[in-house]
Amino acid sequence: MSRTKLDDLGLKLPLFPTTSVGSFPKPDYLVKARAEFSKKKITAEQLRELERKATAFWIETQEKLGVDVLVDGEMYRGDMVAFFAERLPGFAEGGLVRSYGNRFYHKPIITGEVKWPGPITVDWWKYAQSLTKKPVKGMLTGAYTVMDWSFNEHYPDRRSAALALAGVIRKEVEALIAAGCKIVQIDEPALSVRPEELPIAIEAMDGTTKGLRAYFITHACYGAFEHIYPGMLDLRVDNFDLEMSNSDLDLLELFRRHPFTKDISFGVVDVHSHTLEDAVAVRQRVEQALTILPKDKIWIDPDCGLKTRTVEEAIGKLRACVDAANAFRN
Amino acid sequence: MSATFSGLRLSSTGSYPRVGDAFEFQVLRRAIAGFDRGERTTADVLDAENEMTRRAIADQVKAGLDIVTDGQIRWYDPVSYLAGKLENVRIKGLLRFFDTNFYFRQPVLSGKPLRKAPLLTDEYAFARNALGHLPTPGDKAGKLAMKPLLTGPYTLAKLSLAPPSENGSAGSMASLEARTMAYADAIAAEIGALAQMGAEQIQIDEPAALKYPQDWPIFAQSLAPLVKARDAAAAPGRKAELALYTYFHDSAPLYEKLVQLPVDIVALDFTYNPKLVDVAAAAGSPKPLGLGLVDGRNTRLERPAVVAKQIERLLPRIQGARAYLGTSSGLEYLPRERAFAKLELLGKIRAVLNG
Repeated sequence: MSRTKLDDLGLKLPLFPTTSVGSFPKPDYLVKARAEFSKKKITAEQLRELERKATAFWIETQEKLGVDVLVDGEMYRGDMVAFFAERLPGFAEGGLVRSYGNRFYHKPIITGEVKWPGPITVDWWKYAQSLTKKPVKGMLTGAYTVMDWSFNEHYPDRRSAALALAGVIRKEVEALIAAGCKIVQIDEPALSVRPEELPIAIEAMDGTTKGLRAYFITHACYGAFEHIYPGMLDLRVDNFDLEMSNSDLDLLELFRRHPFTKDISFGVVDVHSHTLEDAVAVRQRVEQALTILPKDKIWIDPDCGLKTRTVEEAIGKLRACVDAANAFRN
Repeated sequence: MSATFSGLRLSSTGSYPRVGDAFEFQVLRRAIAGFDRGERTTADVLDAENEMTRRAIADQVKAGLDIVTDGQIRWYDPVSYLAGKLENVRIKGLLRFFDTNFYFRQPVLSGKPLRKAPLLTDEYAFARNALGHLPTPGDKAGKLAMKPLLTGPYTLAKLSLAPPSENGSAGSMASLEARTMAYADAIAAEIGALAQMGAEQIQIDEPAALKYPQDWPIFAQSLAPLVKARDAAAAPGRKAELALYTYFHDSAPLYEKLVQLPVDIVALDFTYNPKLVDVAAAAGSPKPLGLGLVDGRNTRLERPAVVAKQIERLLPRIQGARAYLGTSSGLEYLPRERAFAKLELLGKIRAVLNG
């Protein structure tokens, strides 16, 4: 683990730090409130109060479970790209497009120069951090993914759009750091989709994090990493948060051939399954990780965000991660 | 049209949005949602599919296309819609479809996928009938054609799973080659049926062929049954052309091999490599090309004059100067109003060429 960097930042984390990827399920009262807000039956302030209540619930839940590095659970967010696109000048909402089956969404359009309007996530980070002494991650979506998941009518090509976004997201990172955030996660789920564009993703991440004083994590999931590994290790981050359980730990074989040189947030529970993992199975996953990765480089977390699980399932899966970490620490 | 560009026809590349933002364009979305809640019937969903199919065809005709499709309105996705109709195929979880934000359901084979009944003939008949009921623009009388399309056997096979048998041994469909040729038999039978219905052009989508060039021998081999089916269905006054459509990857490295394939038309996606126009113009083509010069995946509208210049370079280099201008991929990845604008753009490009 980049212990030196964490120590320099004043972060004292145990062996096998536990964390989660970012999202938690929204409690029923919040789901209802969001629907009511969309129909203008409640005000923005009323919705925000419930979002704060749900955030407090999840901070308290993580603390009770013994999670080491917390997240705010994203009670105020919907889609990870739309959340930022709706707030960044230079974006417009697109018409409906299909994602699968009968599911549709409004894909954002870059219609002009993208600009940073001021802090977007800092207030929520501050609120969450005020509720706990444990470190809370700042959570952002990376420039490459925002570019890939948007239409582009302004920039001449995909690279220039990604780099412009990197500059904007960098300002948000700076604002989080200025507010006291020491661990910033920048999600790049689109990372492996176009392997030939890995250099663009690397360049964009460089533009986002280079020279900034924080411990950086990037999350990517459910991709064909064999096409971008080991090149992806050139991303300027300290820690890769990867989905390992869903793919039966296939990635370990890649790491066997080319050493994994960063810290890893090792996904030990499957977020697409309703089944709560057996403690033995989770420990076996960690054991397999230890055959390839040094113990001080391993963090333990779920494969991906937990927002598609029920509250009870999410808590159960987090508990499984914490129990596994404790077993190995002892 | 100027004599130089008389061989250029405007063609759909396949899919079209099944919804729009306006209320009347959400009839299918509402029908399916109602069906899922147990409030609507399969007949209601079919009615809605029919309505949105008619609208898709009408939009293509209104935009000035010469060769139209049914918009693949009924297709859940490009893979499971066909594979799910075959015997020995189960449909399982979602996977990303190439580099899009769209997801398909993955077929899992328990044996050889078998075509026990026609796959698309009924909906092809419906689409042709719907086209016939539309007022035909004066200059299109007798020239409009409805094109059925099928996902090709190699792409179906590449995106399918064939788990081991219950006794742990590799199943008969374990190898990619076995799966591909099995799907090829099914697709070939469907080509025969569509050709006998009078389809003049049958589109075969093989995006996987570009992404996995290491499988080229298997992909090329899979075309043989399709070509054989096309030839077997030929009769005096009736011959279907097979149009191979590729997209979602750079085709420049495979260009010379693609245009030598035993199909009648090869369609290319020009959005992945700005130099593909140079490659194609330099090498020429011994057969008609589908020119996917208008981006089907991005809302930005190309400038007609720019695309027209590209066609001016390409068309003289194509044997017979015959080509099909279309979008780089199906249009389902765009919002409806922008998808229609892309179709209209094809007509504007042709207008520039006509001077």
